Amino acid sequence: MSISSRIPRLKRLVRWGGAIAAGTVLLSACGSSSSSSSSGSSTAAKPTITLVTNSWEGSLANNVVAQYVIEKDLHYPVKLLDLAEIPAWPATASGSVSAVLEVWGHYNHYQTYVVGNHEVINAGLEGPTGNIGWYIPTYLLKQHPELATWQGVKADWKLFVTPQTAPQGEFLDGAPSYVTNDAALINTLGLNMKVVYAGSEAAQLSQIETAYKAKKPIIFYWYTPQYFNHVYSFSQVALPPFTQACAKLPAAKIDCAYPPYYLYKIMNSKLPTTAPSVAKFIQAFNWTAADQNSVSYDMAVNKMSGSAAAAKFVNSHQSLVQSWLTGAPTPKKAPVLGT
Amino acid sequence: MTVVAESNERAEVALKPVQLPPGERANKLVAAKLLQRPYSGLFVLLLAMVISAIYGGFQSGFPTSWVPNVTTWFNSVANWITVHQNTAPFFVHFLTPIGNWLGNSVNAVTDVLNWLSWPGVIALFAGTAVLAGKWRVAIFVVIAMFYFGLIGLWSASMSTLALMSVAVLISVVLGVPLGIAAAASRVVEEAIRPILDLMQMLPAYAYLVPIVLLFGIGNSGGIIATVIYAIAPVIRLTMLGIHSVPYETVEAGKSFGSNKWQLLRKVQLPMALKPIVLGINQVIMMALSVVVIASLVGTGGLGDPILQALNIVDVGDALTAGVAIVFMAMILDRIVSAVAENVGRNVSTKGQKQLISPRNLRIAVGALVIVAIALGNVVGGGGSFPAGLSLSLSAPVNSFLSFLQSHLYHFSSIPVIGGTSNLSSFTTLEILNPLTRIIGDFPWWLAIFGTGVIGYLIAGWRRAVLVSIGVTAIGLLGMWTDASVTLSQVLVALVLCVAIGIPLGIAAYWWPPLEKVLRPILDVLQTMPAFVYLIPVVLFFSVGNMAGVTASFVYALAPAVRLTNLGLRQIKVDMIEAGNSFGATRFQMLRKVELPAARPTIVLAINQTIMLVLAEVIVAGLVGAGGLGYDVVVGLGRDEFGLGLSAGLAIVVLGIVFDRLTQGRPAGRRS
Repeated sequence: MSISSRIPRLKRLVRWGGAIAAGTVLLSACGSSSSSSSSGSSTAAKPTITLVTNSWEGSLANNVVAQYVIEKDLHYPVKLLDLAEIPAWPATASGSVSAVLEVWGHYNHYQTYVVGNHEVINAGLEGPTGNIGWYIPTYLLKQHPELATWQGVKADWKLFVTPQTAPQGEFLDGAPSYVTNDAALINTLGLNMKVVYAGSEAAQLSQIETAYKAKKPIIFYWYTPQYFNHVYSFSQVALPPFTQACAKLPAAKIDCAYPPYYLYKIMNSKLPTTAPSVAKFIQAFNWTAADQNSVSYDMAVNKMSGSAAAAKFVNSHQSLVQSWLTGAPTPKKAPVLGT
Repeated sequence: MTVVAESNERAEVALKPVQLPPGERANKLVAAKLLQRPYSGLFVLLLAMVISAIYGGFQSGFPTSWVPNVTTWFNSVANWITVHQNTAPFFVHFLTPIGNWLGNSVNAVTDVLNWLSWPGVIALFAGTAVLAGKWRVAIFVVIAMFYFGLIGLWSASMSTLALMSVAVLISVVLGVPLGIAAAASRVVEEAIRPILDLMQMLPAYAYLVPIVLLFGIGNSGGIIATVIYAIAPVIRLTMLGIHSVPYETVEAGKSFGSNKWQLLRKVQLPMALKPIVLGINQVIMMALSVVVIASLVGTGGLGDPILQALNIVDVGDALTAGVAIVFMAMILDRIVSAVAENVGRNVSTKGQKQLISPRNLRIAVGALVIVAIALGNVVGGGGSFPAGLSLSLSAPVNSFLSFLQSHLYHFSSIPVIGGTSNLSSFTTLEILNPLTRIIGDFPWWLAIFGTGVIGYLIAGWRRAVLVSIGVTAIGLLGMWTDASVTLSQVLVALVLCVAIGIPLGIAAYWWPPLEKVLRPILDVLQTMPAFVYLIPVVLFFSVGNMAGVTASFVYALAPAVRLTNLGLRQIKVDMIEAGNSFGATRFQMLRKVELPAARPTIVLAINQTIMLVLAEVIVAGLVGAGGLGYDVVVGLGRDEFGLGLSAGLAIVVLGIVFDRLTQGRPAGRRS
C-alpha cells in the first residue's frame, strides 16, 4: 500500500529534522556565547556563587538572605540550587557548588572532604544550635504533665497506640536523611512503643497537623530551629542527659539524649581565591535561630517571596549585616562522631 | 515481554499482536498442554520442598546466617568511587567529560529556548501542531504554555523542556539502533532484555549518589539518571515494530533484490515508524516521571517548586507545579503523535479542498514564529514571562483540602464506613498487618519452592527455576522481611485496582460517554508526580501502610481501566452479533462472550498494574509504609548506598517474579 508514498515523506522528515537539529546547534552556539559575553560585561567576569538549598525551610532562609547581601553588596551573581544533603558534599568538593550555609553533623563526610582531601573548607559556625529530641504538642503536656520526661512516656504508652503499631504505642519519626536513635532509645529505655518512619518530613508534618487539629496525643522526633515551632506549640520530652560515654556506644545500645548539633557552614576550598569577598562573607555569616525562623515564617506562612523576605530582614538588621561584610570569621567546631 | 510501565493506550494496541495468543483457542491450547505435561517436574519441586522442610524446619523467614554481606560490598564500591572521583583517570578523562558535555548541551538548549523568548516558544510549538494539521492541539498548546507563565514557572518549565528534549534525543539516537540490533539477532535480544528490565524497574533513588559522584550534579547527572530510567521503551518498541512487519512484505522486498540494509531502510523502518513513535511517547512520560527525583541532584526545573512546597506542607503549591508537569507531558505527547501521524499519513488526502494551501500555511506559520521571536526579544524583554501576571492555586486548594479532611477523616463523617481514619485503621489492623505477618512467617523453603510450583503450572520448568531463583535472591539480598511488608501492600493495592478498575473498564465499554470523562482523569493520574499527592494521602489515611497502598492504587488504577476497556472494544463484531442472535442478555453476553474474548488483554492489565504498583513502592516509603521503598529512600538520604541498592534490586526481582507469573506461557516468536 503506502510504503512507497511514505518514503518521500520520511525522507523529508529526516531532512527537516536534520536542518532543525543543525539550526539548533548553531543557535545554541551563538546563544551560549552571547549569553556568556553579556553576563561577562555586566558583572566583570565574576563567577556565579551557587548555594545549596536543602529540604528544610531554614536552609532556604539562610540562602535568600545571603543571596540578597552577596548580590547587592558584593555584586556577584548568586544561584540557589535545590540539592539533597548527600550529593551536596561531592558537589562542594568539585566546586560545582560554592557553599552550604547550614550543615547538620555529617561526621563521615567531614572526615573525607575536610580533614581528608581538603577539597572542602569548614567555614565556621552558623549560630543556632540544632536541638534534636522527642517532642509532644503542648496541649498534651497540659493534660498529662508527667509527659515532660521519658519516664512519663513509659508509663503512658497506651495514649499513643495506633492501628499501625497496635498493640504498642507509636513513635513518629520523620525524614529518612536525619540521624535517629529512637528505635534504640525505645529499646534501651524499655518503652512499650514502636517507631513508625514517616519517610518524609512532609508526611510527618501532615500527620502531626492532623493530630494537632483534633487535639489527639502524638509523640514524635523533632528539632529546632524550625519555623513550624512558631505555627504550632510543641514541648520537648526530657531524655537521659547526653554524655560522651553514651555517644561512644554502638548505635543499637544508645540510651541518652541526642548530642547538641553545632550547625556549621562549608565551602569549596578554591572559593577564597575565586571570590575572596564572598568567602569572607560566608565565613563571617551568623545569626540566631529566631532570626532564621522569622525569615522562614515570612516565606512559608506569610507567603512572601524569598527576595522580599530577605529585604525585610536586611533592612531591619543593618548592623548585623554589616558585621557579615566586615567582621571576623565565626569560630569553628568540627562535627563529633555519631552526628 | 514488557515489564514496561506502559500506560499509553496506543502502546497497548501495538504490543498486542506479539504478546497475546488469539483469544479462546489459545486458552484451550494452554489447558490441553497443561494436562499433557509430564508431572515429573512438579514432583521434583515437591520433593525439594519436603527435603528442605526436614532440613530447615518450620522456622519462619529466611535464615539470616545465609545472607552474604552484599550491602557492605556495595558500600565499599561507593566508597572507592568517593575517594577516587577526582583522581582515577577513567573518571576524570572519560566519565566527567561525558557528564559535562551532556550537561552543557542541556544548558545550550535552555539558552535557545530563552533566546526564542516566551512568545517564540509558544508560536513554535503551536505552529508545529498547525502544520501537522491539528488545530485543537495547537489551541491546547497555547493555553498550557500560558499556564506555565501565569503560575510564574516559565523558566522552570523551559529547564524541564530542555532536559526532556535532550533525554528524548539521546534515547532515540541510542535506542533505535539497539532496537534494530535486538530485532536482528536473538542473542542481542536475550542479552538486552534483563538489562532493560533492570533499568526500568530499579528505582532511580537507588543509584543517584554514584551517578552524581561520577557525572556531577545538575543537568549532567540528571540527564544520565533520566535516560537510564526512560530509554527502555524505545528499544523495546523499535524491536517490536520491526518484528511486526508482515513476513510477506519483507519477502517481497527481498524478491526485488534488496539487501539487508536497503530492506531495513526502505521497508522495515518506515513500517515500524508507528511503534517507534509510541516508544518515544513512552520515553517522554517516563522521563517526566523522574523530574522531581532529578531535582534532588540539582537539575532544577519543575521538580524544585514541588520539593519546596513539600518543605512547607503546601499541597496547593505542589499541585500548581504538578499540573504544569501534566501539561508538559500532554504537549509533548500530542505534538510528537501529531507530527508522526502527519508523516505516516497517506497522500490520498491531497485531493481534498483546503482553505489555505500547505505551502502558504507553512509560510504563514514561519512568519508568525519569526514575528513572535522578534516581539519577545524586543518588546517582551527576553526569555522570561512578565512577572506581573501571577496565578496561584495554593490558597483555594489548601482550604478545599482542609475542608475535605475535616468532613471525611473523623468518625461518623460518612455513613456506615465512619470516615477515612476508620477505614484506614480497619484495613491496617484486619488486612495489611495480618497479611504482612503471614507472608513474613512463610518458611523460606515454602516460599521458594511454592513459587516454583506456581511457575511450573503456569509455564513449565524454566519459569519454575527462574521464579525460585528470584525468591531466593530476595533472601540473599537480606531483604526478606522488608519484601514481605512491601509484598502485602502490593497485593492489597492490586486487589483494589482490579476490583475497581475492571468494573470501571466494563462500565465505560457499555456507556461510552463515561470513557470520555475517564480519559483525562486517567491521564492526570498517570502523569501527576506522586510527590503531589503524598500529603493528601497522609491527611486522609495517616502515616503508615494504608497511605502507601492508597498512593499505589491511585497511580496504578489507569491501566486496569484502560486495558479492560480496550480488550472489550477489540472484540470482533461478528462474535457479538452471534451472541445477540442467540438472544443473550447483557450480562450473559459479558460473562460468556465478551469477558472470555477480552481475557488476554485483562491479564495484561493485571500484569501492568503490578508493575506500576511496584514502581510506586518508593512513594509508599515516603508516606510511612516502610518496606523496600523506605530502605531505598534511606539509602539516598543517609548515604547508605548499599542498603538502597539491595532494596532496589529486591524490588526489581519482585517485579520480575510477578511479571513472569502473570504473563502466562512464553509468547511464541515469529519466524
